[in-house]
Amino acid sequence: MISAISKVITNPTLVSVAQNTNASVASETVLKSVGRPGFILIDKDIDPATKKYAAAKEFLYQATCLAIYMALVGPVFKNGAFKLAKKYIYKGTEGFDKFKGLNEYLAYHKLADKTLTNRTASLTKDHSIYKFDHDGLREDLMTKEKPNMYPHIKGAIELGSTIGSVLGLAILAPQVSHAFIHPALKFLGLEEKKSKPVDAVQSQPQQAQTAKVNEEAKQVDTKA
Amino acid sequence: MTNFNTIKNICKKLGENNKPTYVVMSIAAVKGICRPTFTMMDKKEKPETKKYTALREGLTEVIAIPVYWGCGEMAAKFGKYVVSKAMDKKLAALEAKGEKYTPEVKEAMKKASIKKGQTGLMFIGVCTAALFVIPAVCSLVIKPIMNAIGLKAPDDNKKAQSNDKKLDITEGQKEEQPVKQIQTVQVPQALQQPIKPIEKPQMQTLFKGSASGMKVGGL
Repeated sequence: MISAISKVITNPTLVSVAQNTNASVASETVLKSVGRPGFILIDKDIDPATKKYAAAKEFLYQATCLAIYMALVGPVFKNGAFKLAKKYIYKGTEGFDKFKGLNEYLAYHKLADKTLTNRTASLTKDHSIYKFDHDGLREDLMTKEKPNMYPHIKGAIELGSTIGSVLGLAILAPQVSHAFIHPALKFLGLEEKKSKPVDAVQSQPQQAQTAKVNEEAKQVDTKA
Repeated sequence: MTNFNTIKNICKKLGENNKPTYVVMSIAAVKGICRPTFTMMDKKEKPETKKYTALREGLTEVIAIPVYWGCGEMAAKFGKYVVSKAMDKKLAALEAKGEKYTPEVKEAMKKASIKKGQTGLMFIGVCTAALFVIPAVCSLVIKPIMNAIGLKAPDDNKKAQSNDKKLDITEGQKEEQPVKQIQTVQVPQALQQPIKPIEKPQMQTLFKGSASGMKVGGL
């Protein structure tokens, strides 16, 4: 039992997701988008119509958060953090100058995390022959048991992801979801459109006519 | 330069050991400030409703921060225990097969696996906190705190008012209250005339001036 649990929690995929801000926040949002509406629907104390509405609203909110997150954090904040760190914070420092861009570093980091055997096997494939063949990167990957992971580059990327996550989920997502959720719920038929009361609309001309008559009657009374 | 040194230290620490709890606690901290602020800025809601909602949102995030940290740390400790036991068994089994490891190598292998296990189980702990623990703690704790502060939900206020009205009608009826007798006033004979109903002005009579005795233009 303990060995089975240990195998699961030391799984490289799980560890990679747990240490990657982007992946862990996205996974949690997906879980919340499924779990929270599920708990609402199984609640027996709420009436069915309210349950459907609340569950749909929660699902739409989490889906909006996920969409904003995926569109904003990766392309904007991760890339932006790498470029900012390379140009200003770590200007001239060893590490950043070896990588052309964010994607090259992430590919290097993924390979460096593997065992030497797996790394060598990956790099000797046809499409990877010329990969990382500058600044001694390929040599490090092919020969060293534990190549340099450049933790400051990883840290800069994670800091950018964290800032993006906070801005995206705490500030932007509530505002965007507010504008999007109610129209979506109306489209699904879970929220009624607000309409003017029919009696007031129809009797408006009648009311105007009666008011006019009363006014004329008052004028007649005073004259008499 | 001092600011860059601080940022560099943060980057180095995050690069070497990024925990799943860091980002969720940061999000909860900022949400705890922003959500109540946006609620109080809403002009369409009543002030009482705004106060209640803002305080509730703030309390939810205040509860979330220590719960995320607590669940993450507890999960990490459990992960360390589980992986440590599993690695002892694994290394014992390998040595029984004939593999030989120095104490330093065994310690390094164990340390690497423990770090992985702690990170993996901490992530699972954070997900559990988000899905189960935080909603459960909030449902237990928030209402008593709001009652202690003296803030009730708008629905509770309406229910309390309607209950008060019902209490006025149904309760306290055990004592028979004396019924007030209406004194009849004797009207003099001269004033005892049949009361004519008030006639509503009709379009045709207004202009003809016949039934009610009104004349157009005073003639």
